[in-house]
Amino acid sequence: MAAPPVRRDSALPHLEALEALRLRLERLESESGARALALAVYDTKTRLTFRHHADRWFHAASTIKVAILLGVYAAIHREWLLPHSRLHVRNRFRSAVDGRPFRVLADRDANSEVHAAIGKMMRISDLAHHMIATSSNLATNLLLDLVGLDTVQQSLDELGLVGIDVRRGVEDERAFEHGINNRVTADGLAGLLRLIAEERAFTPELSRQMLDVLHAQEFKEGIPARLPRAVRVAHKTGDISTIAHDAGVVYPPAREPYVLAVLTEWSAESSGGGRSATIAEASHAVFELLASDAARSGDG
Amino acid sequence: MGEAYQFPLRVVDGLRLERPIRDALLPGRSLCDDGGRPRRLPRYFYEIPTWDDAVRVQLAPNFGLWEFIQTDVRESVALRGFPRYVPCAITMLGLCLEQFRLTVGTFVHIAANGGYRSPRHALSCNASPHCWGTAVNIYRIGDVLLDDREAIERFAAIARSILPGAWTRPWGIEHNQTDDHLHIDFGYVVSVPHDAPADPPGATSSVGDP
Repeated sequence: MAAPPVRRDSALPHLEALEALRLRLERLESESGARALALAVYDTKTRLTFRHHADRWFHAASTIKVAILLGVYAAIHREWLLPHSRLHVRNRFRSAVDGRPFRVLADRDANSEVHAAIGKMMRISDLAHHMIATSSNLATNLLLDLVGLDTVQQSLDELGLVGIDVRRGVEDERAFEHGINNRVTADGLAGLLRLIAEERAFTPELSRQMLDVLHAQEFKEGIPARLPRAVRVAHKTGDISTIAHDAGVVYPPAREPYVLAVLTEWSAESSGGGRSATIAEASHAVFELLASDAARSGDG
Repeated sequence: MGEAYQFPLRVVDGLRLERPIRDALLPGRSLCDDGGRPRRLPRYFYEIPTWDDAVRVQLAPNFGLWEFIQTDVRESVALRGFPRYVPCAITMLGLCLEQFRLTVGTFVHIAANGGYRSPRHALSCNASPHCWGTAVNIYRIGDVLLDDREAIERFAAIARSILPGAWTRPWGIEHNQTDDHLHIDFGYVVSVPHDAPADPPGATSSVGDP
């Protein structure tokens, strides 16, 4: 009796397909003008991993906020905080270099809602939302200031995550000038997001809460940009002068999710649109490899 | 002539409160100020049964009690719910602020953690007058955010000129200085209202559990 046919979408991609993806990424890296492009994929359905320069360190930009989100939920898990605990919104932080105070400039922050609350209080859950959904730098520093660098790094260590190096808050210009920066690898971000996607970050309930926050992302020019509309993505972007990243969990309809981290580095003269298009192209290539059949069947 | 007005909150002896509350308020205990001098914390407190009461009770025409008890997650867990307790000197602080508000002629906004906070609040350092209910941090006056030297020093000068005995924290980034709010305080004033419970005969400051 002949073996039943193996459904294409339940099988690992062929080696040829993986090699084609690698060549496509190399071509993209070369043609886009990026100084570097790194990518890490983990497919929760097939357990496939795909890595392209995935252990190269990059300045983290705002993707470090996923690690800070983990630190906040570590504090919630340890019952130091509740999601509805309230925190004084104060725009005054201490530099990682010398402890001198600095502020987050409102005109350099994508979110004005947190700045409008200076002097008042906001809930931890709302600050976490703003930190991720609109990448509020003020919310980020408030949360990091509250839970502490040690809590964030300790949480990463306890969960066995490597490739994420949290050293300071955001907008700490003196630290930047002294080379004290948050760093990530594609492997590191993908590992953290995998843990959350598989509901292994502290508890399933807390993992789902973190995913809800990541699903609220409002910047969609990267990973989601060229995916079918039915595909949901829980993710975090990161952009500074020479950096553009996006890392998230991709949920094609009627298929298990996959984790994707795309990290890029650029010259300061490069355009923002080209960077986003490069990330979107890399994301599309991975989607075609893993999930295009499932998405088509779920689009109907 | 109608009945005499009575302040609507009950005065309680902090030494007779339940242990977790007492451990947070430290009634009658000493804390050292920045100069190493011991300062005795208040023993008598107004009890605020609910948040609605805090909103309803006015300390002055333009200041509700709720504005002085807005503390965040850094406050002791025992003091995050109700009933809440504030030192009795908070009434005098309210009146002083009213005078300040009438002089500046516009809204005076007290910052979160900027009114009363307990000695167990993570931001309470040494003998902070905030633990006596005699200090406020003001982050905004009218439309002016107090986050630069000019604004802070201008309003600090007004406060000192109209409020005898008031101390304002100087502008700066060092310890005991301020660069993002106006701090006004009246030192280590302790208020014991007439209706404060009497000490039982032979009572000491260690009434209650050891």
